[in-house]
Amino acid sequence: MSQWLILLQKELLENVRNFKWIWVPLVFIILAIQQPITMYYMPQILESVGGLPEGAVFDFPVPSAEEVLATSLTQYNSLGVLIIVLITMGVIAAERKSGVAAMILVKPVSYTSFVTSKWFSVLLLVWASYFIGYLGAWYYTGVLFEFVSFSIFMQSFLMYGVWLTFVLTFTVFLNTFLKSSGLIAFISLGSIIIMSLISSILSNALSWSPALLGGYVTEFIMFAQMPDGAVISMVVSIAVIGIMLLLSVLLFRKNELAE
Amino acid sequence: MTVISVEGLKKNFKNLEVIKGIDFDLPEQKVVALLGANGAGKTTVLKTISGLIKPTSGTIHFNDENDKDVRHWIGYLPQFPVFYNWMTGKEFLLYVGRLSGLTKHDAKQRTEELLSLVGMTEAKNRRIGKYSGGMKQRLGIAQALIHQPKLLILDEPVSALDPLGRREVIDLLKKLKNEMTVLFSTHILSDAEEVSDEILFLHDGVIVESGAMNELTAKYKQPKITLVFERNIEEYIEEIKSQTVFQSVEINSNEAVLLTDDMEGAKKVILQEASRNNWPLTKFEMSSTKLEEMFIKVVQGK
Repeated sequence: MSQWLILLQKELLENVRNFKWIWVPLVFIILAIQQPITMYYMPQILESVGGLPEGAVFDFPVPSAEEVLATSLTQYNSLGVLIIVLITMGVIAAERKSGVAAMILVKPVSYTSFVTSKWFSVLLLVWASYFIGYLGAWYYTGVLFEFVSFSIFMQSFLMYGVWLTFVLTFTVFLNTFLKSSGLIAFISLGSIIIMSLISSILSNALSWSPALLGGYVTEFIMFAQMPDGAVISMVVSIAVIGIMLLLSVLLFRKNELAE
Repeated sequence: MTVISVEGLKKNFKNLEVIKGIDFDLPEQKVVALLGANGAGKTTVLKTISGLIKPTSGTIHFNDENDKDVRHWIGYLPQFPVFYNWMTGKEFLLYVGRLSGLTKHDAKQRTEELLSLVGMTEAKNRRIGKYSGGMKQRLGIAQALIHQPKLLILDEPVSALDPLGRREVIDLLKKLKNEMTVLFSTHILSDAEEVSDEILFLHDGVIVESGAMNELTAKYKQPKITLVFERNIEEYIEEIKSQTVFQSVEINSNEAVLLTDDMEGAKKVILQEASRNNWPLTKFEMSSTKLEEMFIKVVQGK
């Protein structure tokens, strides 16, 4: 345990020194809060941009607070996922490529700790950034529109967090047997896109798919009711996350690190 | 008392046989040089012993009472040590010290000791990214020593250094001998001759020669006479070539190297011939062959 904490400490310090603890939260905040703000000021924006025919009566329906909050969360579907993949793509692969992993692993370091501490350090960064970002969106939605109940906020936060964790665990998993960060990012993003596409096309048959969590969470915020399939999808996601983590450790142990 | 015994070690990469079955034991508190030309398989042997790669077959047995993770007893310096460039030298040593199971206090103390041992105290608070090659090499040795290993494995520790740095590392190895066994690889014989008690001579994945340094030196020591002529070397050498005292004769432009077992007899033959036929001799030298000649012969494939 103490060794795990030392490894984690190093990861956290590294992410402080390379400013990830500054820019990742910032990007997550900007992504989420721009939604309530632009939606609130939409009429003024359209007016100042102009381009409307003379005398056109402009009647913009005021969106519900739930709608606004749900759309801020969907911002993470593409850009949020992209950032998670970018910060995770080299978490082990880069160290193996440079050779520093070999320097560390000739010391009596547990392979399990090595992999899981890295996974946890990204998890911490992503969840912290995601929490502040989404909390900001909730707050601005409340101030500019109406406050959505905090319990809905928390539940949707946890629900969608499972999907983000799925994405980052998958990227860590690829790290344990691929050495090129670029390739990892490509495979990771490609798989997520394909998974999302197939899941949404066959959403009835694949109602348990982790990739549908983004859709479920929107429904949940709008109607304050757990949609069918959401719970099973979360259970499946968590199980797959566990399996991927286990496989990561096994694959990493099996690999010849120096090569 | 042996520290580690290696038996029938083989390593293949895909279809390429890199190590073709080697056996050796490393004694306690000795410096052992793993000598070999580039591509002989030295790095593969060292990486296999340190557990970074798995042998295709064969065993590596570490003779220690408690059957813990062998990494506790091994310190390893790769040929090109890489660090976290965003850390300072001191931070890196503290980090690997803690990872090796030292307490915070012990890690701190050991870090300071090692920094002064390798002469890095002044640079300890600078980022490793700003270190020179020689400094990285020294930090690499320090990190390998952090947990007081019983076996220190160094992959080409001096090859990349300038003469001064090389001197420092070699002196350091001499100091370390009292505390642990050191196994280091090199392709430079004179480095091996200078510090090592034993050598393992690896060629093409096979150990072709091994033993204590002084035994090997004696074994490959053979009396040798070198002659230099002004001209017509072939003509004169032809006259004495058939004499049985000479085991081999080699002519290279106007220099001849003659190997013999009977120095006195050979000297007599040459000097008699030289005075009788009035040889245009400019140099007559008696010496003996060294390990280096053996090394070159093997590497060139005899």
